[in-house]
Amino acid sequence: MELAQERDAGTNVISPAGRVDGSNSAEFHESLMAALSGDDNRVILDMGGIDYISSAGLRVLLLLAQHLGGSATPFAVCSLAASVDEVFRISGFNQIITVFGTLDEAKAQLA
Amino acid sequence: MRRSLNITPVPGAAAAEALPRIVAFVEEMAELDDWAPDLVLRSNLILEELILNTLTHGRTSGLSDIEVTLESGENSVTITLVDDGAAFDPLNDEPSPDTDLPLQERSIGGLGLHLVRTMAEDLAYKHADGKNHLTLVARAGA
Repeated sequence: MELAQERDAGTNVISPAGRVDGSNSAEFHESLMAALSGDDNRVILDMGGIDYISSAGLRVLLLLAQHLGGSATPFAVCSLAASVDEVFRISGFNQIITVFGTLDEAKAQLA
Repeated sequence: MRRSLNITPVPGAAAAEALPRIVAFVEEMAELDDWAPDLVLRSNLILEELILNTLTHGRTSGLSDIEVTLESGENSVTITLVDDGAAFDPLNDEPSPDTDLPLQERSIGGLGLHLVRTMAEDLAYKHADGKNHLTLVARAGA
């Protein structure tokens, strides 16, 4: 799967694209971990390019959120498609991961 | 339209290797019967969670076949899954995860079936003729 990345003054914005399912979730996990740096002041995962995520993908997001939570690095996701937002709400992920409507909101408010 | 697909577990293969066939099967039906995009996504999610669960947990117990049947309805799809693995009721045999736990205490176990039980409608399970029979309905725009 494709994954774009942009760093700006300690803000690491990671933008994956495509579908995250049981067949590529291991690859998704590796790519996300490789995109992190110890110098990141905060991490934003822009999910705008993802229209499908199953529990295999949620597992990866949980591991990422727990990893960043362990180092007290602010972390948020943004731009969830309606289908992904539904999965987030059902699984209660919107209670454990900060969700912003847009990338601009995430950049402005995540602290 | 009503169509079936048979999935046979492949010894040594990862469960997820069955996914491309499932996705292709759903997309073909979706195109022929003009399903709404969110109906396609929901059907794919429900099938991925249920079938990977069966392939992962059922293969050590004599599983040789999963028959998947899809039937298009009015803005909905009726999904029927019949498998010959160990008796397992996906509606009751695994408790729903506590979705209110704080981040560091959350685990992913049971989340897939929880998604299915929440997203699908008219769920019914029975064990008959030595097989698991599960029927549920995915609906667009619910």
